[in-house]
Amino acid sequence: MDALVFQLYGPMASWGTPAVGEQRPSSDHPGRSALIGLLAAALGIRRDESAAQEALVGSVRFAVKQVAPGRIIRDFHTVQVPKRDKKARYATRKDEMALSGDRLNTIISRREYRCDGLWYIAVTLTGSSDWSLQDLEAALRRPRFTLYLGRKSCPLAVPLAPRIVQADGLRAALADAFPPMVDRQQRWLGLDGTVDYFWEGDAGDIPLQDTRFPEDDVVSRDRWQFRSRPEHHARIRED
Amino acid sequence: MTTFIQLHLLTSYPPANLNRDDLGRPKTARMGGVERLRVSSQSLKRHWRTSDLFQEAVAGHVGTRTKLLGKELFERFIEAGIKEKDAKAWASKIADVFGALKKGSVEIEQLAHIGPEERQAVDELAQRLVEENRGPEDDELKLLRKTPAAADVALFGRMLAAEPAFNVEAACQVAHAITVHPVVIEDDYFTAVDDLNTGEEDRGAAHIGETGFAAGLFYSYVCINRNQLVDNLSGDEALAERAIAALTEAAIKVAPSGKQNSFGSRAYASYVLAEKGSQQPRSLSVAFLKPVQGHDYEADAIKALVSQNERFDKSYGQCADSRYAINVATGEGSFDELLAFLKSD
Repeated sequence: MDALVFQLYGPMASWGTPAVGEQRPSSDHPGRSALIGLLAAALGIRRDESAAQEALVGSVRFAVKQVAPGRIIRDFHTVQVPKRDKKARYATRKDEMALSGDRLNTIISRREYRCDGLWYIAVTLTGSSDWSLQDLEAALRRPRFTLYLGRKSCPLAVPLAPRIVQADGLRAALADAFPPMVDRQQRWLGLDGTVDYFWEGDAGDIPLQDTRFPEDDVVSRDRWQFRSRPEHHARIRED
Repeated sequence: MTTFIQLHLLTSYPPANLNRDDLGRPKTARMGGVERLRVSSQSLKRHWRTSDLFQEAVAGHVGTRTKLLGKELFERFIEAGIKEKDAKAWASKIADVFGALKKGSVEIEQLAHIGPEERQAVDELAQRLVEENRGPEDDELKLLRKTPAAADVALFGRMLAAEPAFNVEAACQVAHAITVHPVVIEDDYFTAVDDLNTGEEDRGAAHIGETGFAAGLFYSYVCINRNQLVDNLSGDEALAERAIAALTEAAIKVAPSGKQNSFGSRAYASYVLAEKGSQQPRSLSVAFLKPVQGHDYEADAIKALVSQNERFDKSYGQCADSRYAINVATGEGSFDELLAFLKSD
Protein backbone atom coordinates (compact mmCIF):
# COMPACT_ATOMS: atom_id res chain seq x y z
CA MET A 1 0.00 0.00 0.00
CA ASP A 2 0.98 3.64 -0.47
CA ALA A 3 0.72 5.76 2.64
CA LEU A 4 1.46 9.34 3.57
CA VAL A 5 3.14 9.37 6.99
CA PHE A 6 3.82 12.33 9.24
CA GLN A 7 4.50 13.08 12.91
CA LEU A 8 2.54 15.08 15.50
CA TYR A 9 4.13 16.46 18.65
CA GLY A 10 3.46 19.44 20.88
CA PRO A 11 4.05 20.29 24.53
CA MET A 12 0.27 20.39 24.81
CA ALA A 13 -2.47 18.72 22.76
CA SER A 14 -6.18 18.21 23.28
CA TRP A 15 -8.07 15.59 21.29
CA GLY A 16 -11.66 16.48 22.07
CA THR A 17 -14.27 13.78 22.57
CA PRO A 18 -18.03 14.34 22.39
CA ALA A 19 -18.75 16.68 25.27
CA VAL A 20 -21.39 19.07 26.44
CA GLY A 21 -21.07 21.60 29.19
CA GLU A 22 -18.27 22.26 31.59
CA GLN A 23 -16.03 19.20 31.17
CA ARG A 24 -13.99 19.06 27.95
CA PRO A 25 -12.09 15.77 28.08
CA SER A 26 -9.31 14.73 25.72
CA SER A 27 -8.84 11.34 24.14
CA ASP A 28 -5.33 9.88 24.33
CA HIS A 29 -4.81 10.03 20.55
CA PRO A 30 -6.10 12.11 17.64
CA GLY A 31 -9.44 10.84 16.35
CA ARG A 32 -10.74 10.85 12.82
CA SER A 33 -12.39 14.28 13.08
CA ALA A 34 -9.16 15.88 14.35
CA LEU A 35 -7.13 14.41 11.50
CA ILE A 36 -9.75 15.34 8.88
CA GLY A 37 -9.65 18.85 10.33
CA LEU A 38 -5.87 18.95 10.09
CA LEU A 39 -5.87 17.92 6.43
CA ALA A 40 -8.75 20.27 5.61
CA ALA A 41 -6.90 23.19 7.19
CA ALA A 42 -3.74 22.32 5.27
CA LEU A 43 -5.70 22.18 2.01
CA GLY A 44 -7.52 25.42 2.80
CA ILE A 45 -11.00 23.92 3.06
CA ARG A 46 -13.13 26.08 5.31
CA ARG A 47 -15.47 24.62 7.94
CA ASP A 48 -18.52 25.81 6.02
CA GLU A 49 -17.46 24.32 2.68
CA SER A 50 -19.59 21.22 3.15
CA ALA A 51 -19.04 19.65 -0.28
CA ALA A 52 -15.26 19.73 -0.03
CA GLN A 53 -15.40 18.60 3.62
CA GLU A 54 -17.54 15.62 2.63
CA ALA A 55 -15.26 14.79 -0.28
CA LEU A 56 -12.28 14.74 2.07
CA VAL A 57 -14.14 12.53 4.56
CA GLY A 58 -14.79 10.05 1.75
CA SER A 59 -11.21 10.16 0.50
CA VAL A 60 -8.98 9.14 3.37
CA ARG A 61 -8.39 6.53 6.06
CA PHE A 62 -6.09 7.01 9.00
CA ALA A 63 -3.82 4.93 11.17
CA VAL A 64 -2.22 6.30 14.32
CA LYS A 65 0.91 4.99 16.00
CA GLN A 66 0.87 6.37 19.49
CA VAL A 67 4.47 6.60 20.67
CA ALA A 68 3.57 8.61 23.79
CA PRO A 69 0.02 9.39 24.95
CA GLY A 70 1.30 12.32 27.03
CA ARG A 71 0.45 13.12 30.61
CA ILE A 72 -2.96 14.56 31.36
CA ILE A 73 -3.37 18.00 32.88
CA ARG A 74 -6.69 19.67 33.62
CA ASP A 75 -7.00 23.35 32.95
CA PHE A 76 -9.43 25.45 34.91
CA HIS A 77 -10.67 28.07 32.46
CA THR A 78 -13.06 30.91 33.17
CA VAL A 79 -14.68 33.16 30.61
CA GLN A 80 -16.60 36.32 31.29
CA VAL A 81 -19.68 36.62 29.12
CA PRO A 82 -22.48 39.16 29.01
CA LYS A 83 -25.94 38.10 30.13
CA ARG A 84 -28.08 36.78 27.33
CA ASP A 85 -29.59 39.71 25.52
CA LYS A 86 -31.16 39.02 22.17
CA LYS A 87 -30.90 42.61 21.08
CA ALA A 88 -27.30 43.19 22.01
CA ARG A 89 -24.49 42.65 19.55
CA TYR A 90 -20.90 43.15 20.56
CA ALA A 91 -18.39 43.84 17.82
CA THR A 92 -15.35 43.36 20.00
CA ARG A 93 -14.43 41.68 23.22
CA LYS A 94 -13.77 45.05 24.76
CA ASP A 95 -17.41 45.96 24.01
CA GLU A 96 -18.61 43.00 26.03
CA MET A 97 -16.30 43.71 28.90
CA ALA A 98 -17.47 47.32 29.02
CA LEU A 99 -20.79 46.20 30.49
CA SER A 100 -21.31 46.80 34.17
CA GLY A 101 -20.37 43.98 36.49
CA ASP A 102 -23.89 42.82 37.21
CA ARG A 103 -24.46 42.17 33.51
CA LEU A 104 -21.43 39.91 33.21
CA ASN A 105 -21.45 36.24 34.11
CA THR A 106 -18.55 33.86 34.47
CA ILE A 107 -18.71 30.51 32.77
CA ILE A 108 -16.29 27.74 33.62
CA SER A 109 -14.80 25.08 31.44
CA ARG A 110 -12.44 22.38 32.62
CA ARG A 111 -10.25 21.39 29.73
CA GLU A 112 -8.04 18.35 29.51
CA TYR A 113 -4.72 18.53 27.74
CA ARG A 114 -2.07 15.95 26.92
CA CYS A 115 1.48 17.10 27.68
CA ASP A 116 4.32 15.74 25.53
CA GLY A 117 2.29 13.32 23.42
CA LEU A 118 3.91 11.99 20.25
CA TRP A 119 1.97 10.39 17.42
CA TYR A 120 2.89 9.12 13.96
CA ILE A 121 0.07 9.18 11.41
CA ALA A 122 -0.44 7.22 8.21
CA VAL A 123 -2.98 8.39 5.62
CA THR A 124 -4.19 5.99 2.94
CA LEU A 125 -6.62 6.81 0.15
CA THR A 126 -9.95 5.11 -0.37
CA GLY A 127 -10.90 4.07 -3.89
CA SER A 128 -12.48 7.44 -4.64
CA SER A 129 -10.35 10.38 -3.71
CA ASP A 130 -10.29 13.91 -5.06
CA TRP A 131 -6.71 14.29 -3.88
CA SER A 132 -3.51 12.33 -4.43
CA LEU A 133 -1.12 11.60 -1.57
CA GLN A 134 1.26 14.05 -3.27
CA ASP A 135 -1.41 16.78 -3.03
CA LEU A 136 -1.81 16.11 0.68
CA GLU A 137 1.94 16.01 1.26
CA ALA A 138 2.41 19.37 -0.47
CA ALA A 139 -0.44 20.88 1.57
CA LEU A 140 1.12 19.70 4.84
CA ARG A 141 4.46 21.23 3.88
CA ARG A 142 2.92 24.61 3.03
CA PRO A 143 -0.51 24.70 4.67
CA ARG A 144 -3.14 27.31 3.84
CA PHE A 145 -4.55 27.66 7.36
CA THR A 146 -2.90 27.35 10.75
CA LEU A 147 -2.52 23.76 11.97
CA TYR A 148 -2.86 22.66 15.57
CA LEU A 149 -3.14 19.67 17.88
CA GLY A 150 -6.87 19.63 18.60
CA ARG A 151 -7.05 23.16 20.00
CA LYS A 152 -5.75 26.29 18.39
CA SER A 153 -3.68 27.04 21.50
CA CYS A 154 -1.74 23.81 20.92
CA PRO A 155 0.66 24.47 18.04
CA LEU A 156 2.72 21.79 16.35
CA ALA A 157 6.21 21.79 17.83
CA VAL A 158 7.98 19.75 15.16
CA PRO A 159 7.77 19.80 11.38
CA LEU A 160 5.18 17.23 10.25
CA ALA A 161 7.88 15.89 7.91
CA PRO A 162 5.32 14.25 5.60
CA ARG A 163 6.55 11.64 3.14
CA ILE A 164 5.01 8.93 1.03
CA VAL A 165 6.06 5.36 1.76
CA GLN A 166 5.27 1.99 0.22
CA ALA A 167 4.70 -0.89 2.61
CA ASP A 168 2.86 -4.16 3.00
CA GLY A 169 0.99 -2.98 6.05
CA LEU A 170 0.39 -0.06 8.36
CA ARG A 171 2.92 -1.16 10.94
CA ALA A 172 5.64 -1.30 8.30
CA ALA A 173 4.50 2.05 6.90
CA LEU A 174 4.86 3.62 10.34
CA ALA A 175 8.04 1.76 11.27
CA ASP A 176 10.48 4.16 9.63
CA ALA A 177 11.02 6.29 12.68
CA PHE A 178 11.32 10.05 12.41
CA PRO A 179 14.57 11.53 13.68
CA PRO A 180 14.49 11.88 17.49
CA MET A 181 13.59 15.39 18.63
CA VAL A 182 16.21 15.47 21.39
CA ASP A 183 19.07 13.31 22.60
CA ARG A 184 17.74 10.60 24.91
CA GLN A 185 14.19 11.13 23.71
CA GLN A 186 13.08 8.01 25.64
CA ARG A 187 13.95 9.71 28.91
CA TRP A 188 12.47 13.14 28.21
CA LEU A 189 9.21 11.80 26.81
CA GLY A 190 9.00 9.02 29.40
CA LEU A 191 8.78 6.28 26.75
CA ASP A 192 8.68 2.65 27.87
CA GLY A 193 8.85 0.95 24.48
CA THR A 194 5.13 0.18 24.35
CA VAL A 195 3.20 1.70 21.48
CA ASP A 196 -0.48 1.70 20.56
CA TYR A 197 -1.81 1.38 17.03
CA PHE A 198 -5.27 2.66 16.12
CA TRP A 199 -6.50 2.16 12.58
CA GLU A 200 -9.47 2.00 10.24
CA GLY A 201 -10.06 -0.78 7.74
CA ASP A 202 -7.44 -3.48 7.18
CA ALA A 203 -4.03 -2.95 8.76
CA GLY A 204 -2.31 -5.73 6.84
CA ASP A 205 0.46 -6.49 9.32
CA ILE A 206 -0.91 -5.68 12.79
CA PRO A 207 -2.73 -8.39 14.77
CA LEU A 208 -6.02 -6.91 15.92
CA GLN A 209 -6.54 -6.92 19.70
CA ASP A 210 -9.79 -5.03 20.12
CA THR A 211 -12.22 -2.76 18.30
CA ARG A 212 -13.76 0.42 19.68
CA PHE A 213 -16.49 2.69 18.36
CA PRO A 214 -15.57 6.34 18.91
CA GLU A 215 -18.12 8.92 17.77
CA ASP A 216 -15.77 11.02 15.72
CA ASP A 217 -16.60 10.35 12.09
CA VAL A 218 -17.57 13.66 10.57
CA VAL A 219 -21.10 13.75 9.15
CA SER A 220 -21.40 17.52 8.92
CA ARG A 221 -18.89 20.11 10.05
CA ASP A 222 -21.67 22.69 9.60
CA ARG A 223 -24.10 21.08 11.98
CA TRP A 224 -21.30 19.71 14.18
CA GLN A 225 -22.59 16.21 13.63
CA PHE A 226 -20.60 13.01 14.10
CA ARG A 227 -21.33 9.29 13.92
CA SER A 228 -19.54 6.32 15.44
CA ARG A 229 -17.12 4.23 13.43
CA PRO A 230 -15.13 1.09 14.13
CA GLU A 231 -11.55 1.75 15.24
CA HIS A 232 -9.17 -1.16 15.63
CA HIS A 233 -6.49 -1.21 18.27
CA ALA A 234 -3.39 -3.13 19.27
CA ARG A 235 -0.79 -2.49 21.98
CA ILE A 236 2.61 -3.76 21.04
CA ARG A 237 6.00 -3.76 22.72
CA GLU A 238 8.60 -2.31 20.36
CA ASP A 239 12.11 -1.74 21.59
CA MET B 1 0.78 30.99 -0.76
CA THR B 2 0.04 31.69 2.87
CA THR B 3 2.61 33.71 4.79
CA PHE B 4 3.04 32.81 8.41
CA ILE B 5 4.65 35.15 10.89
CA GLN B 6 6.01 33.32 13.92
CA LEU B 7 7.19 34.95 17.12
CA HIS B 8 9.26 33.10 19.70
CA LEU B 9 9.66 34.97 22.98
CA LEU B 10 11.62 34.43 26.18
CA THR B 11 10.32 36.46 29.10
CA SER B 12 11.58 36.27 32.65
CA TYR B 13 9.14 36.95 35.49
CA PRO B 14 10.22 37.47 39.09
CA PRO B 15 8.16 35.67 41.78
CA ALA B 16 4.52 35.96 40.70
CA ASN B 17 1.17 34.27 40.40
CA LEU B 18 0.23 35.39 36.92
CA ASN B 19 -2.46 32.90 36.04
CA ARG B 20 -4.33 30.89 38.66
CA ASP B 21 -6.18 27.60 38.75
CA ASP B 22 -9.38 26.92 40.72
CA LEU B 23 -7.39 26.69 43.98
CA GLY B 24 -5.67 30.00 43.36
CA ARG B 25 -2.32 28.35 42.66
CA PRO B 26 -0.23 29.19 39.61
CA LYS B 27 -1.12 27.07 36.59
CA THR B 28 1.34 24.36 35.63
CA ALA B 29 2.12 21.94 32.82
CA ARG B 30 4.45 18.98 32.50
CA MET B 31 7.12 19.00 29.85
CA GLY B 32 10.05 16.62 29.69
CA GLY B 33 8.57 14.85 32.70
CA VAL B 34 8.97 17.79 35.10
CA GLU B 35 6.53 20.39 36.37
CA ARG B 36 6.67 23.83 34.73
CA LEU B 37 4.84 27.07 35.30
CA ARG B 38 2.23 27.89 32.68
CA VAL B 39 0.27 30.95 31.61
CA SER B 40 -2.70 29.94 29.49
CA SER B 41 -3.09 31.28 25.97
CA GLN B 42 -6.51 32.65 26.94
CA SER B 43 -4.97 34.72 29.69
CA LEU B 44 -2.23 36.06 27.42
CA LYS B 45 -4.69 37.00 24.67
CA ARG B 46 -7.06 38.71 27.06
CA HIS B 47 -4.34 40.92 28.45
CA TRP B 48 -2.91 41.75 25.06
CA ARG B 49 -6.14 42.74 23.40
CA THR B 50 -7.56 44.72 26.29
CA SER B 51 -4.27 46.55 26.87
CA ASP B 52 -4.16 50.27 26.24
CA LEU B 53 -1.07 49.68 24.17
CA PHE B 54 -2.94 47.43 21.73
CA GLN B 55 -6.01 49.66 21.63
CA GLU B 56 -3.92 52.73 20.90
CA ALA B 57 -1.78 51.02 18.30
CA VAL B 58 -4.81 50.18 16.20
CA ALA B 59 -6.75 53.32 17.16
CA GLY B 60 -8.98 54.64 14.43
CA HIS B 61 -9.31 51.14 13.12
CA VAL B 62 -10.98 49.64 16.11
CA GLY B 63 -14.09 51.49 15.15
CA THR B 64 -16.12 54.25 16.72
CA ARG B 65 -17.75 54.01 20.10
CA THR B 66 -21.00 55.91 20.03
CA LYS B 67 -24.56 56.03 21.27
CA LEU B 68 -25.61 58.55 18.67
CA LEU B 69 -25.77 56.58 15.44
CA GLY B 70 -29.59 56.57 15.45
CA LYS B 71 -29.75 60.29 16.04
CA GLU B 72 -27.41 60.98 13.17
CA LEU B 73 -29.41 58.74 10.82
CA PHE B 74 -32.69 60.35 11.93
CA GLU B 75 -31.34 63.81 11.09
CA ARG B 76 -30.04 62.58 7.77
CA PHE B 77 -33.46 61.13 6.85
CA ILE B 78 -35.26 64.33 7.89
CA GLU B 79 -32.88 66.42 5.77
CA ALA B 80 -33.61 64.16 2.81
CA GLY B 81 -37.30 64.94 3.25
CA ILE B 82 -38.45 61.66 4.82
CA LYS B 83 -41.54 61.91 7.05
CA GLU B 84 -40.62 62.23 10.73
CA LYS B 85 -42.41 59.04 11.71
CA ASP B 86 -40.63 56.97 9.04
CA ALA B 87 -37.29 58.62 9.71
CA LYS B 88 -37.56 57.67 13.36
CA ALA B 89 -38.64 54.09 12.63
CA TRP B 90 -35.88 53.47 10.09
CA ALA B 91 -33.18 55.09 12.19
CA SER B 92 -34.15 53.03 15.23
CA LYS B 93 -34.20 49.81 13.23
CA ILE B 94 -30.65 50.38 12.03
CA ALA B 95 -29.28 51.66 15.35
CA ASP B 96 -30.88 48.71 17.13
CA VAL B 97 -28.52 46.38 15.28
CA PHE B 98 -25.65 47.85 17.29
CA GLY B 99 -27.25 47.85 20.72
CA ALA B 100 -30.54 48.07 22.57
CA LEU B 101 -32.15 51.49 22.30
CA LYS B 102 -33.31 53.73 25.11
CA LYS B 103 -37.06 53.58 25.55
CA GLY B 104 -38.87 55.80 23.05
CA SER B 105 -35.58 57.14 21.67
CA VAL B 106 -33.28 56.50 18.74
CA GLU B 107 -30.32 56.67 21.08
CA ILE B 108 -28.42 53.46 21.89
CA GLU B 109 -28.40 52.68 25.60
CA GLN B 110 -24.71 51.98 25.88
CA LEU B 111 -21.68 52.94 23.87
CA ALA B 112 -21.77 50.71 20.81
CA HIS B 113 -18.72 49.71 18.86
CA ILE B 114 -19.05 50.37 15.15
CA GLY B 115 -16.30 49.24 12.80
CA PRO B 116 -15.23 51.35 9.82
CA GLU B 117 -16.78 48.93 7.33
CA GLU B 118 -19.97 48.72 9.32
CA ARG B 119 -20.12 52.50 9.28
CA GLN B 120 -19.76 52.42 5.52
CA ALA B 121 -22.46 49.76 5.17
CA VAL B 122 -24.80 51.89 7.29
CA ASP B 123 -24.16 54.92 5.09
CA GLU B 124 -24.80 52.94 1.93
CA LEU B 125 -27.99 51.47 3.34
CA ALA B 126 -29.24 54.89 4.44
CA GLN B 127 -28.52 56.26 0.99
CA ARG B 128 -30.47 53.41 -0.63
CA LEU B 129 -33.45 53.86 1.69
CA VAL B 130 -33.64 57.55 0.87
CA GLU B 131 -33.41 56.89 -2.86
CA GLU B 132 -36.04 54.16 -2.80
CA ASN B 133 -38.11 55.84 -0.11
CA ARG B 134 -38.63 52.69 1.95
CA GLY B 135 -37.68 51.14 5.28
CA PRO B 136 -34.86 48.62 5.76
CA GLU B 137 -35.48 44.90 5.15
CA ASP B 138 -34.45 42.33 7.77
CA ASP B 139 -31.79 40.88 5.46
CA GLU B 140 -30.23 44.27 4.89
CA LEU B 141 -29.94 44.78 8.62
CA LYS B 142 -28.24 41.43 9.06
CA LEU B 143 -25.51 42.39 6.60
CA LEU B 144 -24.45 45.31 8.72
CA ARG B 145 -22.37 43.24 11.11
CA LYS B 146 -20.92 40.65 8.82
CA THR B 147 -17.44 41.99 8.26
CA PRO B 148 -16.35 43.88 11.34
CA ALA B 149 -12.97 45.46 10.67
CA ALA B 150 -12.09 45.43 14.34
CA ALA B 151 -8.47 44.38 14.55
CA ASP B 152 -8.92 42.39 17.74
CA VAL B 153 -11.71 40.26 16.29
CA ALA B 154 -9.69 39.67 13.12
CA LEU B 155 -6.70 38.49 15.14
CA PHE B 156 -8.35 36.53 17.91
CA GLY B 157 -11.58 35.43 16.26
CA ARG B 158 -15.11 35.29 17.53
CA MET B 159 -17.57 32.51 18.08
CA LEU B 160 -21.24 33.18 18.58
CA ALA B 161 -23.15 29.97 19.06
CA ALA B 162 -26.45 31.74 18.43
CA GLU B 163 -25.35 33.35 15.17
CA PRO B 164 -22.74 31.27 13.34
CA ALA B 165 -22.81 33.69 10.40
CA PHE B 166 -20.97 36.22 12.55
CA ASN B 167 -18.16 33.84 13.48
CA VAL B 168 -14.66 34.91 12.57
CA GLU B 169 -11.82 32.39 12.46
CA ALA B 170 -8.88 33.75 14.45
CA ALA B 171 -5.88 34.68 12.29
CA CYS B 172 -3.57 34.38 15.25
CA GLN B 173 -2.49 31.31 17.18
CA VAL B 174 -1.16 31.74 20.69
CA ALA B 175 0.40 28.88 22.64
CA HIS B 176 0.36 28.53 26.41
CA ALA B 177 3.55 30.07 27.79
CA ILE B 178 5.60 27.44 29.61
CA THR B 179 8.80 27.84 31.63
CA VAL B 180 12.02 26.51 30.12
CA HIS B 181 12.98 25.02 33.50
CA PRO B 182 11.34 22.99 36.29
CA VAL B 183 9.61 24.94 39.03
CA VAL B 184 8.64 24.30 42.59
CA ILE B 185 5.70 26.40 43.63
CA GLU B 186 6.24 28.02 47.00
CA ASP B 187 3.66 29.18 49.49
CA ASP B 188 3.72 32.67 50.84
CA TYR B 189 2.10 32.67 54.28
CA PHE B 190 0.95 36.17 55.02
CA THR B 191 -0.93 38.08 57.68
CA ALA B 192 -2.66 41.43 57.59
CA VAL B 193 -2.87 43.51 60.73
CA ASP B 194 -5.79 45.72 61.66
CA ASP B 195 -4.55 49.32 61.86
CA LEU B 196 -7.23 50.27 64.37
CA ASN B 197 -6.52 47.37 66.70
CA THR B 198 -4.73 49.01 69.62
CA GLY B 199 -3.56 45.65 70.91
CA GLU B 200 -5.20 46.10 74.29
CA GLU B 201 -7.19 42.87 74.06
CA ASP B 202 -5.24 40.85 71.54
CA ARG B 203 -2.45 41.45 69.06
CA GLY B 204 -3.52 38.78 66.57
CA ALA B 205 -3.69 39.32 62.82
CA ALA B 206 -6.97 40.40 61.28
CA HIS B 207 -6.45 38.12 58.32
CA ILE B 208 -4.16 35.25 57.42
CA GLY B 209 -3.75 33.60 54.08
CA GLU B 210 -1.52 31.71 51.73
CA THR B 211 -0.57 32.45 48.15
CA GLY B 212 1.25 30.11 45.81
CA PHE B 213 3.96 31.74 43.74
CA ALA B 214 7.00 30.97 41.64
CA ALA B 215 9.40 32.74 39.33
CA GLY B 216 10.12 31.60 35.82
CA LEU B 217 11.62 32.19 32.42
CA PHE B 218 8.80 31.55 29.96
CA TYR B 219 8.89 30.50 26.34
CA SER B 220 5.89 31.88 24.42
CA TYR B 221 4.92 31.31 20.83
CA VAL B 222 2.64 33.27 18.52
CA CYS B 223 1.81 32.45 14.92
CA ILE B 224 -0.05 34.89 12.69
CA ASN B 225 -1.61 33.74 9.44
CA ARG B 226 -1.12 36.92 7.43
CA ASN B 227 -3.44 35.98 4.57
CA GLN B 228 -6.26 35.09 6.90
CA LEU B 229 -5.76 38.32 8.81
CA VAL B 230 -6.05 40.35 5.60
CA ASP B 231 -9.16 38.32 4.66
CA ASN B 232 -10.70 38.93 8.07
CA LEU B 233 -10.07 42.64 7.57
CA SER B 234 -11.79 42.54 4.17
CA GLY B 235 -8.56 43.11 2.27
CA ASP B 236 -7.28 46.06 4.28
CA GLU B 237 -3.51 45.42 4.10
CA ALA B 238 -2.54 48.58 5.91
CA LEU B 239 -4.72 47.71 8.87
CA ALA B 240 -3.32 44.18 8.88
CA GLU B 241 0.20 45.65 9.20
CA ARG B 242 -0.89 47.77 12.12
CA ALA B 243 -2.60 44.84 13.79
CA ILE B 244 0.54 42.72 13.43
CA ALA B 245 2.71 45.51 14.87
CA ALA B 246 0.26 46.06 17.73
CA LEU B 247 0.09 42.38 18.59
CA THR B 248 3.89 42.06 18.46
CA GLU B 249 4.34 45.00 20.78
CA ALA B 250 1.73 43.67 23.19
CA ALA B 251 3.29 40.19 23.19
CA ILE B 252 6.67 41.69 24.03
CA LYS B 253 5.54 44.24 26.61
CA VAL B 254 2.23 43.31 28.23
CA ALA B 255 2.31 41.00 31.25
CA PRO B 256 -0.70 39.11 32.59
CA SER B 257 -2.25 41.17 35.37
CA GLY B 258 -2.77 38.29 37.84
CA LYS B 259 -1.68 39.28 41.36
CA GLN B 260 0.31 42.25 40.04
CA ASN B 261 -0.66 44.25 43.12
CA SER B 262 0.97 41.66 45.35
CA PHE B 263 4.01 40.86 43.25
CA GLY B 264 4.60 43.73 40.81
CA SER B 265 6.07 41.30 38.35
CA ARG B 266 5.65 43.08 35.03
CA ALA B 267 8.36 42.24 32.50
CA TYR B 268 9.35 42.73 28.87
CA ALA B 269 10.59 39.88 26.72
CA SER B 270 14.37 39.64 26.78
CA TYR B 271 14.69 37.64 23.58
CA VAL B 272 12.47 37.69 20.49
CA LEU B 273 12.93 35.63 17.35
CA ALA B 274 10.62 36.43 14.42
CA GLU B 275 10.27 34.20 11.37
CA LYS B 276 8.47 34.64 8.06
CA GLY B 277 7.66 32.11 5.40
CA SER B 278 5.03 29.83 3.90
CA GLN B 279 6.54 26.67 5.41
CA GLN B 280 4.52 24.76 7.98
CA PRO B 281 4.82 26.72 11.23
CA ARG B 282 6.17 24.96 14.31
CA SER B 283 7.01 26.20 17.76
CA LEU B 284 10.51 25.69 19.15
CA SER B 285 9.45 24.32 22.53
CA VAL B 286 11.47 21.16 21.88
CA ALA B 287 14.48 23.30 22.79
CA PHE B 288 13.28 23.04 26.39
CA LEU B 289 12.02 19.46 26.45
CA LYS B 290 15.23 18.74 28.32
CA PRO B 291 14.80 21.39 31.03
CA VAL B 292 17.32 24.22 31.26
CA GLN B 293 19.10 23.75 34.58
CA GLY B 294 22.30 25.76 34.51
CA HIS B 295 23.23 28.89 36.46
CA ASP B 296 22.29 31.33 33.72
CA TYR B 297 18.77 30.44 32.57
CA GLU B 298 18.54 33.28 30.12
CA ALA B 299 21.78 32.69 28.21
CA ASP B 300 21.22 28.92 28.25
CA ALA B 301 17.64 29.28 27.02
CA ILE B 302 18.65 31.56 24.14
CA LYS B 303 21.39 29.13 23.19
CA ALA B 304 18.97 26.19 23.29
CA LEU B 305 16.41 28.07 21.19
CA VAL B 306 18.92 29.08 18.52
CA SER B 307 20.41 25.62 18.32
CA GLN B 308 16.97 23.96 18.10
CA ASN B 309 16.13 26.22 15.18
CA GLU B 310 19.34 25.18 13.42
CA ARG B 311 18.70 21.50 14.10
CA PHE B 312 15.19 21.69 12.61
CA ASP B 313 16.56 23.40 9.49
CA LYS B 314 19.26 20.76 9.18
CA SER B 315 16.94 17.77 9.59
CA TYR B 316 13.90 19.01 7.69
CA GLY B 317 15.17 21.73 5.34
CA GLN B 318 14.88 25.49 5.76
CA CYS B 319 11.82 26.04 8.02
CA ALA B 320 11.41 29.79 7.32
CA ASP B 321 12.39 32.19 4.54
CA SER B 322 13.71 34.98 6.74
CA ARG B 323 14.38 35.69 10.40
CA TYR B 324 15.09 38.57 12.73
CA ALA B 325 16.05 38.51 16.40
CA ILE B 326 16.25 40.91 19.33
CA ASN B 327 18.62 39.89 22.11
CA VAL B 328 18.36 42.34 24.98
CA ALA B 329 21.31 40.85 26.90
CA THR B 330 23.77 41.39 24.05
CA GLY B 331 22.07 44.49 22.67
CA GLU B 332 21.49 42.91 19.26
CA GLY B 333 18.48 44.00 17.27
CA SER B 334 15.90 46.66 18.01
CA PHE B 335 12.14 46.85 18.26
CA ASP B 336 11.87 49.29 15.35
CA GLU B 337 13.88 47.02 13.09
CA LEU B 338 11.74 44.09 14.15
CA LEU B 339 8.61 45.98 13.07
CA ALA B 340 10.25 46.87 9.76
CA PHE B 341 11.14 43.20 9.27
CA LEU B 342 7.55 42.13 9.89
CA LYS B 343 6.30 44.64 7.34
CA SER B 344 8.59 44.07 4.38
CA ASP B 345 7.65 41.38 1.92
